Amino acid sequence: MSLSILRLARFSARGLVRDLRAADVRALFVALALAVAASTMIGFFLDRLDRGLTRQASQLLGGDLVLEQGHPFDAELRATLEEAGLVLSDQVDMVSMVSLADAFQPASLKVVDDRYPLYGGVHVDQGEGVEVVAHGPSPGEVWLAPRLALLLEAEIGDRVRLGESELTVGGVVEREPDQSAGFGSFNPRLMMHRDDMEATELVQDGSRVAFELLGAGPPAILDDLAPLLERLRRDGVEVRDVRRDRPGLGSALERAERYLSLAGLAAVLLAGVAVAMSTRRYVDRHLDTAALLRCFGATQGELSRLFGLQLLWLALAASVLGALLGLASQAALLALLTAFLPLELPPPGMLPLWLGVFTALSVLVGFAGPTLLRLKRVSALKVLRRELDPLPASAWLVVAVASGVFGGLLWLYSGDPGLALGLLLGGLVMLMVLWGLGSLLLGGVLRLAARLPRNGREAGVAQALRLGGAQLARRRTASLGQLLAFAVTFFAMAMIALVRGDLLSTWEAQLPAETPNYFAINIQPHEREAFEASLSGAADARSALYPMVRGRITAINDMAPREAVPAEARGDNALRRELNLTWRETLPEGNRLVAGTWFDQQKESAPGDWYAEVASESATSPEAERVPISVEDGLAERLGLGLGDTLTFTIGAAEIIGEVSSLRDLDWDSFRPNFFVIFPPGVLERFGHSYITAFHLDDAEREVQRGLVRDFPGVTLLNVDAILAQVRDLLSRVTRAVEVVLVFVLLAGVSVLYAALTASLPVRAHESGLLRVFGAGNRLLSRVQGAEFAILGLASGLMGALLAELAAAALYLAWLDLAPRLHLWLWLVLPLGGALLIGAIGHLLSRNLRRQAPATSLGLLGET
Amino acid sequence: MTPILHAEHLIKQVRSGERRLTILSDLAISVFPGETVAILGQSGAGKSTLLGLLAGLDLPTGGELAMFGQRLADLDEDGRARLRAGRVGFVFQNFQLLPTLTALENVLLPLELSPRTDSEQRAREWLARVGLGERLDHLPKQLSGGEQQRVALARAFVTGAELVFADEPTGNLDPATGERIIDALFSLNREAGTTLVLVTHDHALARRCDRCLRLDHGRLEEMALDEVGA
Repeated sequence: MSLSILRLARFSARGLVRDLRAADVRALFVALALAVAASTMIGFFLDRLDRGLTRQASQLLGGDLVLEQGHPFDAELRATLEEAGLVLSDQVDMVSMVSLADAFQPASLKVVDDRYPLYGGVHVDQGEGVEVVAHGPSPGEVWLAPRLALLLEAEIGDRVRLGESELTVGGVVEREPDQSAGFGSFNPRLMMHRDDMEATELVQDGSRVAFELLGAGPPAILDDLAPLLERLRRDGVEVRDVRRDRPGLGSALERAERYLSLAGLAAVLLAGVAVAMSTRRYVDRHLDTAALLRCFGATQGELSRLFGLQLLWLALAASVLGALLGLASQAALLALLTAFLPLELPPPGMLPLWLGVFTALSVLVGFAGPTLLRLKRVSALKVLRRELDPLPASAWLVVAVASGVFGGLLWLYSGDPGLALGLLLGGLVMLMVLWGLGSLLLGGVLRLAARLPRNGREAGVAQALRLGGAQLARRRTASLGQLLAFAVTFFAMAMIALVRGDLLSTWEAQLPAETPNYFAINIQPHEREAFEASLSGAADARSALYPMVRGRITAINDMAPREAVPAEARGDNALRRELNLTWRETLPEGNRLVAGTWFDQQKESAPGDWYAEVASESATSPEAERVPISVEDGLAERLGLGLGDTLTFTIGAAEIIGEVSSLRDLDWDSFRPNFFVIFPPGVLERFGHSYITAFHLDDAEREVQRGLVRDFPGVTLLNVDAILAQVRDLLSRVTRAVEVVLVFVLLAGVSVLYAALTASLPVRAHESGLLRVFGAGNRLLSRVQGAEFAILGLASGLMGALLAELAAAALYLAWLDLAPRLHLWLWLVLPLGGALLIGAIGHLLSRNLRRQAPATSLGLLGET
Repeated sequence: MTPILHAEHLIKQVRSGERRLTILSDLAISVFPGETVAILGQSGAGKSTLLGLLAGLDLPTGGELAMFGQRLADLDEDGRARLRAGRVGFVFQNFQLLPTLTALENVLLPLELSPRTDSEQRAREWLARVGLGERLDHLPKQLSGGEQQRVALARAFVTGAELVFADEPTGNLDPATGERIIDALFSLNREAGTTLVLVTHDHALARRCDRCLRLDHGRLEEMALDEVGA
């Protein structure tokens, strides 16, 4: 006689409904719902982002094919592309100053033609509300980003000054169809028509200007063009092809995405721990049922199916609630990050939902599976001999299965098996270290609690702390697990607070007062002396003027750069974009040689005039010139370069081979112009170049700034403070988004507490029943329970503070190059906040225990 | 007539540290359909061990044992469970009611394992028969010991079991309540024509059975009914 699936389904569902009264089932439900909520929140968000990026790839890229270089494209190339069937549109990107009356502001210029945009529409307010139009600004007018309009206090119809010309504000751009990236993206957008470009006189030799040629057409055309595109790449043109180079997010967002995924999985992991804890109690409670059913004739298979189905219903119900929570939270996440998202996102899809359900089931199987097997192994004889409990699942088996399943989830979510394995193994090692650390800390706190005075005025509190400490000590392993869960959560929250508040301001505060706060770029050679003269009176801490030439690395040791460098450096920006090159006789201030010798020591006889020499050499050999170069140490390390290696640069139409003759260490925080590659004098002078410098101006010297903007309209002034404000804003929003996820991590931590409390309920009931029999009042019991959780919270806070302090010290040393310092507030806020928060939650969750009469509590042992 | 329960040369040994303890040795018993059989013995004589073996909840160390004509040694644990399903009922000393289930749900429990369309109706009827028709939705903790044992009686008979095992059914009850439970047990047994195997140390209870066996030093001896009164 066996149970049909339908009957089993009904039976298990009925059993579950009856079981909902039990605390362990509720704890299981909450933990599973949280796991689903955390994973679907991240899932919905990333899925929408991903589908948005895929669907709008051509639009985001600006076309199906985008070519970019530092000088205009020639007519021959245009003709070839048009003949192949592409519709072409020209675009120029650069940074320049724009001013209106007394206000001036660097802006990221986007110069478009009549064919703009090739895909999508521009959301623009031209005075009659935001509308979507399929064109850019007309000649004579500019469209501003809302922020730029605000900074300049510009209104539609105002005339703004741009280089040598004045243009009318014709609209405010809410959203562009194509995303822009790079240096300019910190500055607000100004869009203008290309017919106005020449009159501004902004484009000069050596200016930082990107010329783009955008093409739209069917994919087959791109296939036909493949050899041409490959040749262009070799010639140093940056080629973006919609199928190969799907546009991504900015690096801050990409990093945030990774943090979100990891934080989400941390919540899943904690929920898994809660599931494991509540399952133990669930199984203990159902051993009698299982034995009785065995006695009445149920087979092992039927028992497995019965309890398996019961938990399946529970997981499905938890998935529904979790998915709703996840859906709501991803909307919150989106609201925080929407300003940084370059696109309109499609509505949430179904995939993350299935992924959420799958996650819940995996967590259930992984964290509850081995423990659940006990139910099936129960002997029918237990009905006669109560002591006949099946052996508990081996702790190693539980950890191994849970690790395996969690590793699988890591793989699924990261899509990278190596990373998943690394995280898993690293996590396990970290767990062992933290376990040891937590054990020491908890031991210390408990010893302190045990030493509290036994009499005196504070005896009431001391007694509660002593008894509470003793209760924690009795459940040491479970307590330690909870301690780690909370400590890691507190640590993560403290790091967020530190990164957002402390790190940036500490770094700023340690900069000398005279640190340059302005960069001036695009200074033309003929303006050089006048510019220096304007600065000499006012600016202190001025750096030298460095000439700047744009060039691209097109070969390393005569091989294609991508083939010559280590695999992880293939996507390095230094290989994808043009580099700013300079020349210099002496080692720049703040630079330090770490290998090789500087140019003047190599050519003692005739320092300087390399050009004469290479010119005479190139007269005998038609091959490219070969000169010594100095390379920044970090770049050399990334690209795997050493002394004697050669880099081939394409500058304009010329090729120059540089042989690495020295490596330099430099201080990127100095706010001076820094260069990856420096040439000796006499090589680059013949190419078009502009100058860059950095200087310090006080707020009181605004007149000097105005003078510079007025006298040198083609020069762009970049204010470091404004850039830092932008960074802070971005950081603040991204960290807030991570906080949304951390709330789930904290909730998952609370679910661990709830599960642990549930698992220890019978023992706790027994203990408090006995205490009552011995004369303890409700007040004392309440205090003891409060004290137990407060000690747990205190210890978690201490450990969280310790971890945060260590991590902060590492960041200070590695990133900011500063001596680590103590953050006293961490040591106050985390332990006290932890004690209050965990004390209150524990107190609340255990209130039922205090309501029971001693007889009930004592009789409760072994039952719900 | 074929015995419903038959054992020969039954041996049960357990390991206690290094030593082997023999609890049952060369034990024989035959129980025929419709019989009521009491197994008497001192505390620790191995009565519950014997009951566990006879019901197929445990396996003997040696000897032959058959239930419903089927050799239990030929069946694995699941096979023995299937043999019991719907055909064997149990009454325990500590009632073994599930604390989270109501009286009705407790009685329904064995019916979940044997397909019937009228399960609930049947469970209600049997609870009414034991006088608990009004207490269907009560949880065990809301019932007295005697009432809990009556729920257990209803649960033992509700499947139409051919064979009911009772392990010290009055062990946890006061004499007057115990008396009423015994009355109920025998009256239900008569109505249903069930075979009853009863393990007890209560002679008054044993006397009401057709046959009495004494478990002593691991073996069963038939007792004359007048001997039981002693």
